[in-house]
Amino acid sequence: MDCYIVDFHAAELGVGAEVALEDSVMRKGLPAKAGSKILEGFIAPFDATVVTRLLDSKYNIAGRIGMNEFGLPSLISAGTNDIYDAVKAVSAGVVSYALCNDVFGVYRRRAAEEGICYLHPTYGTVSRYGLVPMACSMDQIGVACKNPDDCFGLLSVIAGNDPKDGTMYPEKSYVYSKTGKELRIGVPAAVLNQADEGTKESIRRFAAGFTSTDMELKYFDVYKQVLYILTCAEASSNLTRYDGIKFGYRASNYKNLNELYTRTRTEALGVEAKLAAIMGFMVLSQENYIPYYEKAMKIRRLIKESLRFGEYDIIVLPTKISDDSYENLSLFALAPLAGLPSLSFSFKGCGIQLVADAKNENALLTAWEGVKNEI
Amino acid sequence: MQNVKRYEMLNKLELAEDEYVRVSACADKLTESFKLLEGIDTSGAEPLITVLDIQNVLREDVCVKTIPREELLAPAPDSTGGFFRVPKTLE
Amino acid sequence: MRYETVMGLEVHVELATESKLFCGCSAKFGADENENVCPACAGMPGMPAVTNKKAVELGIAAAIVTNSEITRTITFDKKSYFYPDLPTGYQITQWFAPICKNGWVEVETTAGKKKINLKQIHIEEDAGKLIHEGYDTSLVDFNRTSVPLVEIVSMPDFRTAEEVVAYLEKLRSLLTFAGVSDCKMQEGSMRCDVNISVREAGSDKLGTRTEIKNMNSLKAISAAIAYESKRHIDALEIGDEVLIQETRGWNDSIGKTFSMREKETAADYRYFPNPELMPIYISDEWIDKIRVNLPEPAVEKYVRLTGELGLPEFDSGIITGSKTLSDIFDDVTKHFNKPKEAANWIITELLGIAKGSNKGEDDIQIDCVKFAKLMELVDNKTINRTIGKKLLGMVLEEGIDPAVYVAKNNLGMIADTGVINEAIRIILADNQKSVDEYKKGNQKVFDFFVGAIMRKLGGKADPKVVNELLIRQLK
Repeated sequence: MDCYIVDFHAAELGVGAEVALEDSVMRKGLPAKAGSKILEGFIAPFDATVVTRLLDSKYNIAGRIGMNEFGLPSLISAGTNDIYDAVKAVSAGVVSYALCNDVFGVYRRRAAEEGICYLHPTYGTVSRYGLVPMACSMDQIGVACKNPDDCFGLLSVIAGNDPKDGTMYPEKSYVYSKTGKELRIGVPAAVLNQADEGTKESIRRFAAGFTSTDMELKYFDVYKQVLYILTCAEASSNLTRYDGIKFGYRASNYKNLNELYTRTRTEALGVEAKLAAIMGFMVLSQENYIPYYEKAMKIRRLIKESLRFGEYDIIVLPTKISDDSYENLSLFALAPLAGLPSLSFSFKGCGIQLVADAKNENALLTAWEGVKNEI
Repeated sequence: MQNVKRYEMLNKLELAEDEYVRVSACADKLTESFKLLEGIDTSGAEPLITVLDIQNVLREDVCVKTIPREELLAPAPDSTGGFFRVPKTLE
Repeated sequence: MRYETVMGLEVHVELATESKLFCGCSAKFGADENENVCPACAGMPGMPAVTNKKAVELGIAAAIVTNSEITRTITFDKKSYFYPDLPTGYQITQWFAPICKNGWVEVETTAGKKKINLKQIHIEEDAGKLIHEGYDTSLVDFNRTSVPLVEIVSMPDFRTAEEVVAYLEKLRSLLTFAGVSDCKMQEGSMRCDVNISVREAGSDKLGTRTEIKNMNSLKAISAAIAYESKRHIDALEIGDEVLIQETRGWNDSIGKTFSMREKETAADYRYFPNPELMPIYISDEWIDKIRVNLPEPAVEKYVRLTGELGLPEFDSGIITGSKTLSDIFDDVTKHFNKPKEAANWIITELLGIAKGSNKGEDDIQIDCVKFAKLMELVDNKTINRTIGKKLLGMVLEEGIDPAVYVAKNNLGMIADTGVINEAIRIILADNQKSVDEYKKGNQKVFDFFVGAIMRKLGGKADPKVVNELLIRQLK
């Protein structure tokens, strides 16, 4: 069942668990296309730090795996075109793990739906060196696998400060373990009410296993806007390097420099990347910077400061509230906007998502341990 | 959304008609949804650029040679004599 | 009608770091094309930027020597435009919180002293270099990409080209002596854009402004200012041309400015904070540490040279006019403790040799220990000054060890007066006619005798001794 794997790196297949890399995580000598034609012909000149650490710990790199172009959400095709091969490959048992970058929740949602799990770690704990960037302030490599216990095991291998990435906490390594403390689960009723009955019931039953408390996710109504404004701006800037000059795709027909740029980018960027690029330039333009970009950055602060970890240890959320992919972004925005860890898995047949305070992955692990015998 | 053409041009993009229709329809939907931000009171809030509350991440001034020039130029669509080559930049 | 030219300057100065601003590539000038380039500064994805600490410290040093107010928490931003010399499509610069603001520099011209106010200084990365090849292609070299620089933005305080030149010379002195940059205009490590407008004298309204770029010498800057201000005045007086706000290049060979096509997207650079680069907090302690470790500035050194060391003002001016000469002076006097002699050697001999081979004073590279040893050999009369001068050229160009060379080639001075007297006797005997002329009162033949005797002695005698002994024999 190698259909999900873009290219196996056969030489590296041996004993030990196999890890697939989303097409944006670089393995020296392999292409890294981030799902985009514009990176056609680009060969990773070095290993991502996460890859180096996996190899040092005797894991096998199974190969590259397909993804949404640059990890962007499918807004134009309304979610129907999402590529989440990492989840499919783990679910089918082709590989034990997949490393991905999940800003928009594609993997968190699909993992839970496919009966596996996805762990998005605290921003600043896993090196972004060797990750094709989409939105640098939110990009963070996470782990897809069948079982959360194993997710944490693999995370402890790849996490820890890397001097080559200037956006990291100083801790050299992390140990993830269950805590003895009793967990309090925050249940945002207003959000939950938007989910279907089955999901509501699952979450109720999940929360029943712990002390739970009602809470409000202030600004939830604009989560998706804030997430999209900030990510499209950063993504538009990360996309300007793709110009057909240094590497990657170059249009074959051009008469001058402007045509070289325009045809290369027009022919090789996909429609969602074009949308993000156009929206990004819009929100960063002189006339829109303050009403859109700066405003979104301010609300991002308000969102982060509105959280009351302490009154609760975990926020529980559904993985789907709408058939509209833009609407659903709100469910996954909290973790990247506030830099928090998040774990999603299937519980009682429905997808649920847990979000904990920064660097409190242990709360996620503890919550999982508390319910893992009754999923 | 107004000015889709302008941001398209600034982006060095030239969307085909059908793509333009889909992109601008989605851009309209997005900008419409952005109107909700207007109602949010952000007075006194500083923009949050990154969630990390750390400062002074600096590197010592040491040279590190990473890859030889041939490797650097290998993926270039057009290069000659150690240079990347582009259509003339000055008229 | 009387007119007044109003100018403001944007000076780009490359910082004297070993490595680039955001990656570990060498920042040195002169490497083969694309030799100092890595995936990060070639714009490849996946290599996060990490700021070079030395670049920030040199930025702080630039702030200190220009009397600027240092920003306590600085940040970096992205400035975006498409151009082949910009591999990522954005330049990392400081838009929201530059390293410092409100500085000033005092300049001196024939009209007296004047304070030039600075709006701000910001740290940013340099762009790559484009070489125009053949009819329809350009070549791109990213060696300079991401080399750190500071842009020093002045207020529109300049009225004459003389002030502009004095300011640039002052900046060069301040920044080279502080070790911030080598400020070599011909290598592009100091570049200057002049914003210029002309108005009626006494008016407080500014005229149409143009920006002149691409001048790579002080001479070119003066010429460009003269040309451009005349073009503005002609436009105002004759009205043959309508001035528009634009960027103009300077063509040095024809001595004219020309309109440059603007980069298409220049209208909107989409500045925004770079979320990959954490803010940098600049503490009092950090500033103080940099301040106390700053090398002696030129003005202080001038005072020390003319005062404590007793050098003439002229000599002190030349030595402190160049960081390179100043460093050579400091170095050689560590090994040869006769400052006046050393200054003399540097100014007359070393500079003479450099000029003879068309080198600027800042291009001189010499082993100062060997230079000092050479001066010592002349000073203690092991060799004479003429041979010393010859050897200096060889120290400079070939790096010879003067003591070894003197011993090996037997260049030591002939001290034995018997040998010298014998040479004099032979020369006089061979030139009886000239001796007669001398005795009739023709002084000119004396120099002829000295020359001939020195040649006979292989140039190795002390000319003073030859003179004395010659006079005795001629009596």
